[in-house]
Amino acid sequence: MKLNLTINGSQIEVESTPNETLLKVLRRMGYFGVKHGCETGECGACTVLLNGKVVNSCVTLAAQADGKAIETIEALGEHPEQGWKRTEGLHPLQESFAESGAVQCGFCTPGMILAAKELLARTLDPTESEVRDALSGVLCRCTGYVKPVQAVLHAAAVLRGEAKPGEMTGESELLQALFRPDSLPPAPPPAIGPGGTRTAVRILPKVMVAPDSETRTQIGKPEIKVDAIKLVQGKPAFTDDFERRGMLVAKVLRSPFAHARIKKIDASKARALDGVAAVLTHEDIPRVAYSSAGQSDPIPGPLDMFSLDDKVRYVGDRVAFVAAETEEIAIQALSLIDVTYEALPAILDMGEALDNEIILHDQPEYVDFDQSDASRNLAAHIHIDIGNVEHGFAEADHIFEHEYEVPKVQQAHIEPHIVVSYWDEDDRLVIRTSTQVPFHARRILAPVLGLPIKRIRVIKPRIGGGFGGKQEVQIEDVAAHLTIATGRPVRYETTREEEFIASRSRHPMRIKLKTGVKNDGTITANAMYALSDTGAYGCHALTVTGNTGHKSMALYVGDGKYREKPNIQFIADIVYTNTASSGAFRGYGVPQGFWPVERQMERIARALKLDPIDFRLKNALRAGELQPFSTAWSEGREPSPEIIETNGLVECVQQGRAAIGWDSKYSNKDWQQVPGKPHLRKGVGVALVMQGTAIPYLDMGGASIKLNDDGSYNLLVGATDLGTGSDTVLAQMAAEVLGVPVEDIVVYSSDTDFTPFDKGAYASSTTYISGGAVVRAAQAVAEQMMMRAAKMLNSQGGYALVDPTEIVLENRLATAPDGRSVTMAEIAHNSLHHEDQVQIMAVGSYVSPVAPPPFAAQFAEVTVDIETGMVTVDKLVMAVDSGIIVNPVTASGQIEGGMTQALGYAVSEEMVYDEKGIMRERDFSDYHIFAAHEMPELTTIFVETFEPSHPFGVKAVAEIPMDGVAPAVGNAIQHACGADLSKNPATPERIWQALKQVTPG
Amino acid sequence: MILEYYRPETLEKALLLLSNQTPKTVPLGGGTVLNAPSPEDYAVVDLQALGWDVIEQRGRELRIGATASLQMILDHGAIQPALRKAIQQEAAYNLRQSGTAAGGLVSGGGRSPYLSMMLAMDADLVWQPNDAVVPLGEFLPLRGGLWPGAVISEIRINAQIQAAFHFIARSLADKPVMIGAAARWPSGRTRLVLGGYGKAPITILDGEANQGVLDGAETAYLTAGDQWASAEYRSEMARVLAQRCLEEFE
Repeated sequence: MKLNLTINGSQIEVESTPNETLLKVLRRMGYFGVKHGCETGECGACTVLLNGKVVNSCVTLAAQADGKAIETIEALGEHPEQGWKRTEGLHPLQESFAESGAVQCGFCTPGMILAAKELLARTLDPTESEVRDALSGVLCRCTGYVKPVQAVLHAAAVLRGEAKPGEMTGESELLQALFRPDSLPPAPPPAIGPGGTRTAVRILPKVMVAPDSETRTQIGKPEIKVDAIKLVQGKPAFTDDFERRGMLVAKVLRSPFAHARIKKIDASKARALDGVAAVLTHEDIPRVAYSSAGQSDPIPGPLDMFSLDDKVRYVGDRVAFVAAETEEIAIQALSLIDVTYEALPAILDMGEALDNEIILHDQPEYVDFDQSDASRNLAAHIHIDIGNVEHGFAEADHIFEHEYEVPKVQQAHIEPHIVVSYWDEDDRLVIRTSTQVPFHARRILAPVLGLPIKRIRVIKPRIGGGFGGKQEVQIEDVAAHLTIATGRPVRYETTREEEFIASRSRHPMRIKLKTGVKNDGTITANAMYALSDTGAYGCHALTVTGNTGHKSMALYVGDGKYREKPNIQFIADIVYTNTASSGAFRGYGVPQGFWPVERQMERIARALKLDPIDFRLKNALRAGELQPFSTAWSEGREPSPEIIETNGLVECVQQGRAAIGWDSKYSNKDWQQVPGKPHLRKGVGVALVMQGTAIPYLDMGGASIKLNDDGSYNLLVGATDLGTGSDTVLAQMAAEVLGVPVEDIVVYSSDTDFTPFDKGAYASSTTYISGGAVVRAAQAVAEQMMMRAAKMLNSQGGYALVDPTEIVLENRLATAPDGRSVTMAEIAHNSLHHEDQVQIMAVGSYVSPVAPPPFAAQFAEVTVDIETGMVTVDKLVMAVDSGIIVNPVTASGQIEGGMTQALGYAVSEEMVYDEKGIMRERDFSDYHIFAAHEMPELTTIFVETFEPSHPFGVKAVAEIPMDGVAPAVGNAIQHACGADLSKNPATPERIWQALKQVTPG
Repeated sequence: MILEYYRPETLEKALLLLSNQTPKTVPLGGGTVLNAPSPEDYAVVDLQALGWDVIEQRGRELRIGATASLQMILDHGAIQPALRKAIQQEAAYNLRQSGTAAGGLVSGGGRSPYLSMMLAMDADLVWQPNDAVVPLGEFLPLRGGLWPGAVISEIRINAQIQAAFHFIARSLADKPVMIGAAARWPSGRTRLVLGGYGKAPITILDGEANQGVLDGAETAYLTAGDQWASAEYRSEMARVLAQRCLEEFE
C-alpha cells in the first residue's frame, strides 16, 4: 500500500504493508533517531510527534500515519558549523540536554527531547511535575531523570526569552561553586521562574574536596560530554544505525521446555520457504564448548555452552538460527522447523540443584574451572577463611543468625542486544556489535567460529546501555554463524521478550549470615554462606559470587583486636538450574551481599539498642588497614595483599546524615506520623557500602594518542563507553596532561583493528585502568612535544638553551621558562612536515596492582502504608568517597542513575518463574523500572579522597550506587513500621506479611 | 499479523468492513494493543476518520467518543479526580496519547485502573448500528466473542457522581496488584469494583452501601491468588480498599 507521509516537513510517498509499524518505516527510510527498544510501546525510545502529539511509533501502524505530519529528532537543530555552511544550530532543548549532562547512553535522548518539545509547545512555563509527566513515557535506565528534567526546565526558560536563570556562566564560577569550602557562604540559589520552577544549566553534586589534590585545568571540570552533540541530534551512532546491501535478518528458535533433549530436528520446510537464506541447527555447526562471559584469559569459569546443542536447558534456550530476507519470513521459518523434544525433569529451585539426580551438563566436552563439578550441578565453589570464625563466635556475647534472599533482576538497557556481521573484501569477518568487551568477544568467538583471531574484526559503535548485560558474548555468534553459512551480511537484534527470557541477569541468591557481637557492639566474627543460582550456564558464576563476599563481607572487620585479625568466613555454592543464565550486572555480586549484611547490621543494632550508625562505623574498615579478602581471593587468580589507602566513610556518613536530616528524624516519633493519614508511617534508613576499582594484576587497558597537523590529538581507546561518560573523562585526562582543551582531543572507541587492547567496560575500571593508560600515553606524547618544542625554540638563537623538561604544556602552547612559546600546531607542522619529520604519538598501557575501594553512605527515607504494605520511597541520599572526581556532571549522573536502578532492586524489580520454568516478566509492563514521574528526590554528595595509586587520584563510582539502596530502604521500612524484611524487593505483600510479625508497641 | 488495513470515512463503510469474518476483522482505535506483534492473522478497521475523537458534556452526562484518547479524557475539566487518577495510573504519557476511550475498555484486563474506574462509574457503551446502549458491566463477560458488523462509538458516564479510586502497587506508576474503585450517585446508589486480578475487574456492590459490603469484598477475592499476589493478601486488601473508597463518600 502507498502512504503519503509528511516527515519533518517533506511530503514523501512510501510503499508499506498493513502490518508495518511506523517505527520500521522511519528507520528503513534513514530516520535513525527513532529507536527500537521494545515492541509494546512501554519504553518510548521510538517516540515521534504525529500531528504534534507524542506517540510510540513501535505500536503505531505506518498506515495510521497516512496523511499526517511526522516529526523526528532529525527535524530539530543540527551542528551550527558544517564546513562553509552555517546552520541555525541546535534547538534549545538539544543544547540544554547536552549542557545539563542529561545524555548518558543517548538511546532514549531523542524520545525525551521530542516529548519535551511537545510539552513546551503546550506551555513554556511548565512545573517540574508537568515535565516529569511529559517524560513519563520515555524510560531511561541511565540518568535517574534528574538531569533530563532540569534540562527541560532550562530549555523552557531559554524559550521564554529569559536570561538563563541560575546559570553558572564561567568555568571559574563553576569550579568555585563546585569547590566552595563549607566555611564560605552558600552560593545564591538559581532564580525562580514565573512557573515557580528553578533552573540551572547543570545539576552539580556537592563535592567535598580532598585537601591534598592539586588544582587542575581539566580534571574536576564539568565538561560537556564529547559525544553529547551527536546524541542529542539522534545521529546514526548505534549498531543498528548501519546499512549494508543484501543484509539478512536473523531470528532464533527458542526452547519451550525448561529441560529437554532434542531427539530430532527437521528444518527442511523452513529451508524451502521462499526468502530463507539459511537455517542452522546443532547438526550444522561445529560443537565447540565455550563460555560467553566476557572476561580476560583464561575465563574463570567452566566451558559449558555451545552455539547450538542437542540439549536445551531453560525455556528460551537456543534451538536453531534462521536468516531470511525479511523479519516476517524469518519468523515464519521458525514456525516451520519441526523439533521433537524429549522433555526432561527440570530443576527450577536453586535449593534443589546440588547433588540432584537431574544433571544439566552431562556433555563430555564440559571443561571444568577450579572447583566446578557438573555431576553435582556445581558451576563453582568458594571457601574463604580469614582468621577463625569459630573462635570469634566463642568470644561473642551474642550470636545473630538469619537467612536472606535476593532476586533475579535484569539489566534492562533500553537498547537491546544487537549485532551485524559481514565478510569484508579481505575475507575477514566484521562483527559490529553493541558490546562492552570487543576484545574479549573477538578472542572468545575465534574458536567458536573456526577463525583465527586475525580474521575477525569487532567494531563497537555507540552502546545504548549495558550495565553488564553486554559483558557477554551473547548474540554475536548467531549472526556470525549465519554470515559464514550464507556469505551475506546478517543483522540480529533481540526482542524485548528475548531480553527477559534469554539474556543474562543478576544472580539470585539465598544467603545465611551468622554474626558474633560483644555487648559493646564489637563484631567478633562474621560468616556468610551464599547459595547462588547461575541458571543454565556458568557465566560469571565464580567471580560474581566471589565478589558477594569479597566486598560486602570485607566492610565490617570488627573493632579493637579484631581490626588486625578479623574473623570472616565466606562459603558459596554456585549451582546450575533450568532458568536463564545469570551473569554480570552493575555491582557484580556486591548488591547481593549488602542486602543481607546491612539488614543484619540493622537487626543487631536494634537488638542491642545500639545507634545504627555508630555501630556500623565502630566496626567498619578504615584507611591503613588490610582489605581482609585481598590475601584470600582474587577472582580465581592469585591474591596479593592490599592496604586501604583512602577511606572517606566517616565523612560520607556526616554529609549524608545531614542531607537526609537523620538527627531530626530517626528518634522523632512525631515526624514518623503523617498528619491526617493514620495509616502512614515514615522512616529513615542507612546502609554503608564499599565496592572495588578494577581487578588487580589482571585487567589491562591500552590507549594511543596521535598528534594531528592542527595540534589536536586522536585518542584511540579500546575502552567502551556505555553511556557512563568514560570517553569524556579519558579525554579530560589526556587534555590535562597535554595542555589543551577537551575539544582538541578526538576520541575513538573502539575497534579491534585500530584501537589498542582494553579489557572493556566492567569492574568499575574504565576511569581508573583505561584512564591510567591514557595518562601514560599522554605523558609519552607530552615528552615528545616538549622535546620538539625545545628543539624549535633552541633553533631560534640568541637565547639560553631550553631544557625540554622545563617546557610547560598549557593553553595549546609549549612554553619555555623564558616566556617564549610555540603552539601545538607549530609543533605538529614542524614534526610532520618541516624538520626531522616524525609522527608524534605514543601508546600507554596500565595494569593495577590494587583495587582501591570506593566507600559510600546510602540513606533512604520512606513512607509505608501499614494497612496495605505499600511503600513509597521519598528520598535517597548517597555520599560517596569517590577518589578525585574527573567530571562532576558525569560522575553524579552515574550515582543518580545507579541509585534509580537500585531503587528498582529495592521495591519493584524481580523475575519469577512458574512451575514449568516460564518467566513471568516478558515486557516493561510487568518488569517495572522507574519512570520520571514516580521518582524520589535524589541527592548526590562526593567526598573526595586522593587515591595515591592513580596519577589523578581517582577511584570508581559507577557500580557502588547499586549496593546500598535496597538495604537502606529495607532499614527505613523497619524504622517506619517495624516490618523486618529478609527478602527484596520490598513488595507490598512482603511488607504486609512482615508487619504481621511485628509485636505491637 | 495485520493482513489488511482500512480507514473508512463513513460509519456505513466501517460497519460493512467490520462484518467481514475472513480474515477476522476488528476495529482499530489507537492501536496500542492490536499493533503489537501477534501470531494471529486479522484485518483492522481504523476508526480515526469517523470523527469520534471528541468529548461532549450534556448536562450531567459526559459523552466520550470511542477514539478520544485517554489523555483527552484526562485533560477534560469535567471528569472526577478519581477517574483522572485512574487514567494516570493506567499508562504513561505516550501511551495515553494513543490509547483510546473504547480501546481501554475492550482490551483492559483485571489490573486495569481505567477499566475498573469506568466499571465503577457504570459507564454505558453506545454501539453502532442503531445507537444501542449496553452497560459496560454487561459487555465485559462477552468481550472474548466477535462482534461482526458492530462497533462502539461512544462511552457515556455521569460526570456529577462522586468517585473514589485506590490501588496497591510496587511503586507509584506500577501496574496495580489490587484496585478499589467506587462511585456514588446522589440517590445513594453505590457501585464498588475490585480490580488487580483476573481477566476483568468485578463489581462487588451496586445499590445501597451497608456493613456487609466489606465482608463481600473480602469474600469476592478469597481465591484471587496468582503469581503477583496471594489470595490471602488480595482478600484482605479488598476489604481495606473497599473501606477507603466508601469512606471518601462519608
